Amino acid sequence: MTKIFIYPTTSLILSDMVARFGHTPIGSALAIRERIQTAGIDSPPLQMTPEDAKKGLRWAAVEVPSGVRGRMSLYGPQLEEAEAAIIITDAEFAFGCMGCARTNELLVYLIKKKKIPILELRYPADEVEGNEFVAAIRDFLRDLGEEHD
Amino acid sequence: MTEQKVRIAQLSCGPEYSGVQKEINDAAAAVDAEIFFPDLTLRDIKRNFHDYGIDVRSADLKLAIARAVALVEGDVEADAVFIATCFRCAEAAIVRNELRHYIHENSPLPVVSYSFTERTTSGTLLTRMEALTTIARRRALLARERQTGITMGIDSGSATTKAVIMQDNEIIGTGWVPTTEVLQSAQEVRDHALQEAGLLMKDIEAIGATGYGRFLVGEEFGADLIQEELTVNSKGAVFLADCQKGPSTVIDIGGMDNKAISVQDGIPGTFTMGGICAGASGRFLEMTAKRLGVDITELGPLAMRGMGSDVPMNSYCIVFGTQSLVNALAQGHSKENVAAAACHSVAEQVYEQQLQEVDIKDPVIMVGGTSLIAGLVRAMGDLLQTDIVVPRYSQYIGSVGSALLSSGFIRKEQ
Amino acid sequence: MNTYQPSYQGTVTKYVFVESPHTTPDDLASLAYEISDRAMIKETCFGLQITGDEKDVADIIRQLRTRDPAHIFVKDRGFPPGDPRRCRANLGGARPGYFGHEFEMGIIKRISQGILNLDEREEGKVAKPPVIRPDTGIDVAQLATLMKKEVP
Repeated sequence: MTKIFIYPTTSLILSDMVARFGHTPIGSALAIRERIQTAGIDSPPLQMTPEDAKKGLRWAAVEVPSGVRGRMSLYGPQLEEAEAAIIITDAEFAFGCMGCARTNELLVYLIKKKKIPILELRYPADEVEGNEFVAAIRDFLRDLGEEHD
Repeated sequence: MTEQKVRIAQLSCGPEYSGVQKEINDAAAAVDAEIFFPDLTLRDIKRNFHDYGIDVRSADLKLAIARAVALVEGDVEADAVFIATCFRCAEAAIVRNELRHYIHENSPLPVVSYSFTERTTSGTLLTRMEALTTIARRRALLARERQTGITMGIDSGSATTKAVIMQDNEIIGTGWVPTTEVLQSAQEVRDHALQEAGLLMKDIEAIGATGYGRFLVGEEFGADLIQEELTVNSKGAVFLADCQKGPSTVIDIGGMDNKAISVQDGIPGTFTMGGICAGASGRFLEMTAKRLGVDITELGPLAMRGMGSDVPMNSYCIVFGTQSLVNALAQGHSKENVAAAACHSVAEQVYEQQLQEVDIKDPVIMVGGTSLIAGLVRAMGDLLQTDIVVPRYSQYIGSVGSALLSSGFIRKEQ
Repeated sequence: MNTYQPSYQGTVTKYVFVESPHTTPDDLASLAYEISDRAMIKETCFGLQITGDEKDVADIIRQLRTRDPAHIFVKDRGFPPGDPRRCRANLGGARPGYFGHEFEMGIIKRISQGILNLDEREEGKVAKPPVIRPDTGIDVAQLATLMKKEVP
């Protein structure tokens, strides 16, 4: 099982595809779960505190807005674990964890900089593209499996 | 009967991820308001975002835009709007400013915007939330244009404490001291105002308190009205400048922070409160006066005789500002020119950091202690290219506003 | 500053979405209740949320998926079900993640179709996923062809 970073990090489709084809999707939900299940200072709704924005300094400088640094504190550690990534390039209506374009630009760049296997595609516009979309993801994940065997 | 909670619609990008959403919620709760997020479907979001016409990339900003459109079009009901985005984000700053204008121009909803960092606390947001809820909740009170009976207003500010006694729409007593111990300073100005008016405490029919020390002073004096300075100063300014109807802009460069308020019929529409650095406040002018060896009251006339344009000075930060001050004097610039440059620098900071965020409409009224520094008023007028109105008693603005509004609490005795 | 004590520590929560001509969210819920054992099942308009020990939840999902493999979709959730911090009633509107689901559920039929067609797909056929191509100008060979066409 390979750890696959999914982008959009909140994607139902990618999360499902990765797990369906036998690998482990990593994205927003796991990072949020970690905070929601850890005792600390009460800071609803996400249990993120100003400390998260400070932790984010590891990936983004102090002049970068706090919302970017806070989000990077969710993804930074996940990027370090990621062994491969699937990126949907036209994720225009993913909100919340995916709601900041500046974070997303940095995130995609850091994924690419990591030199791990990456599959880039866009959402399928019709049934034919749907077939290719699913097949491409299956094949990408299958080839990864073979590399790891 | 308990009042209904004021429902504040939040349009934002980033507070949850900066760890400050709870601070926003707490500030709202402290003034008996609640934050909510206007409900839309994805289809509404896409349509409203498209119709609004600003093509930003961040999805949470798209959501904020779509929610703003829903509020303006009346698809979602709210009492007030709070816009919050990350400090230092250019995309968000553009959206924040445009949405504030858009809501202000197209709906009666009071709106305030704020750019936060991870260090933003509920304390910082409290005055803004209080003003927002007051405007939503007390429109009837804020509509008051005449002072009646005998009332007292006390303004417990960070630098000075002021009191005013009014009777039948006239100011009959005043008091002013630099703030030392909050209650003691308030007692001093009260006593002075009473003495000037020739009255006793028992003659006072209602009391209003404002300023940083308003809660402490208000409680001690049994105030009928304890109110933040944004709404109070707006009322005071339009009352003193005699422009209670129509638009106006109120600028108050204070000792600790500055307020710029866009007013319509005496009620604040949009406003900003700044105070990142004392370099943009009255404190810098106080330091300048000290360094020039003159009393603060002499700084204004001194500046009026000088030309600041030859003296390089930037008080974005009070430390650098002070450095420029020392350098300018060492280079042999005259006291007059240095005083003028200091006034210009403060005006410029307020102009660049705050006045961009409100709609400047004439008349522009300057109030607060710094409005008595003629050089500062001139510098601001030059920047805004308008003649600034400084009404009589402008330094007592908070006290006058409090005295005026508190007369709404006088109970008619049988 | 208040301290925070989490509930449901050590559990996982998964969303199970169903968009199918054969299976309704109710069908899925009935089946889930039958096999849930220790896990907690919460019905929603789009399917279910399942909370429990990681292994228990995985077992339930494996069984649920067999019911209608091409039309059931699963995703992790950070919050336990019914959490007041994410509840529409408390927020006034939907949590931000909801719109993302709404968007993807709008195109999920294309994915279901893609899954169904996998079995019939020719072995070794290279997938051509939809991509956004960067505008890098025209290919030299293609340009040469076009020029030859234009100039007799």
